[in-house]
Amino acid sequence: MTSEQAFDQFHQAVYNFAYRLARRQDVAEDITQECFLLLVRDPQRFDEARGTIKTYLFSVARNLVLKHYRDHRLEFPAEDEPPSAADPFRAIDVSSAVAHAVAGLPLLQQEALILFEYEGLTLEEIAAVLGADVGTVKSRLHRARNALRRLLAPYRNTENTHGTA
Amino acid sequence: MEPRNDDELNDRELDRMLAEWKAPLAPARLRAAVFPDGHRPWWRTVWSASIRIPVPALALMAVLIAIVIWQWPAALSPALQQKVHELRPVAELRPVLIRSVE
Repeated sequence: MTSEQAFDQFHQAVYNFAYRLARRQDVAEDITQECFLLLVRDPQRFDEARGTIKTYLFSVARNLVLKHYRDHRLEFPAEDEPPSAADPFRAIDVSSAVAHAVAGLPLLQQEALILFEYEGLTLEEIAAVLGADVGTVKSRLHRARNALRRLLAPYRNTENTHGTA
Repeated sequence: MEPRNDDELNDRELDRMLAEWKAPLAPARLRAAVFPDGHRPWWRTVWSASIRIPVPALALMAVLIAIVIWQWPAALSPALQQKVHELRPVAELRPVLIRSVE
């Protein structure tokens, strides 16, 4: 697969992933651009023996998001920190409520959830992206979903409405 | 699916709510930023083209070029070599003045 074919096939998914983790379009754009420039300029860094081009691109994007957070001294909630309760008055619609609730999860749970729920990666692919084993990924997904069940329960009756809270 | 109380969403409700969070489309300018050559004339691409040569290969090429230069006379054809060897320095210079006839 050429780098142009990889771009056509995966740039939207990489952009979505970066956007959902960083929650900023300009950052997602920079990360997606940097991710594919790395592939174009230094294709030898992708090792087929270690995974697919898809998992390689997601893992590069993940590292770039983490670098962005480090460079800007931003912090994700710690792994053992309980997720912050979603404030119904901060979210103007369900979409914002979901974004806010996911942002309140620890990073390791956020990335597993986003890759599984939104980008459709398999557990094995997520494990390859995160450098973890499948059991750990399953556990993070389980905890993330359980937390979201509670955090998003107040929005149960506000689905498909906008500006209600 | 395990039973849940009213303070928690069930799987179907959660999936439906998660699906509400849409990401925006990636901007079209991304492609041009990653593959700028697609919008440049071919001569500019050729003009700015470069190649990477590993240092050992470069060193080997330099040695080969040096050997070729060192061995250059031997590399000439035998006939040409013969003619070159026949050349001798002039023993005595005898300049001849040729005048034009008017």
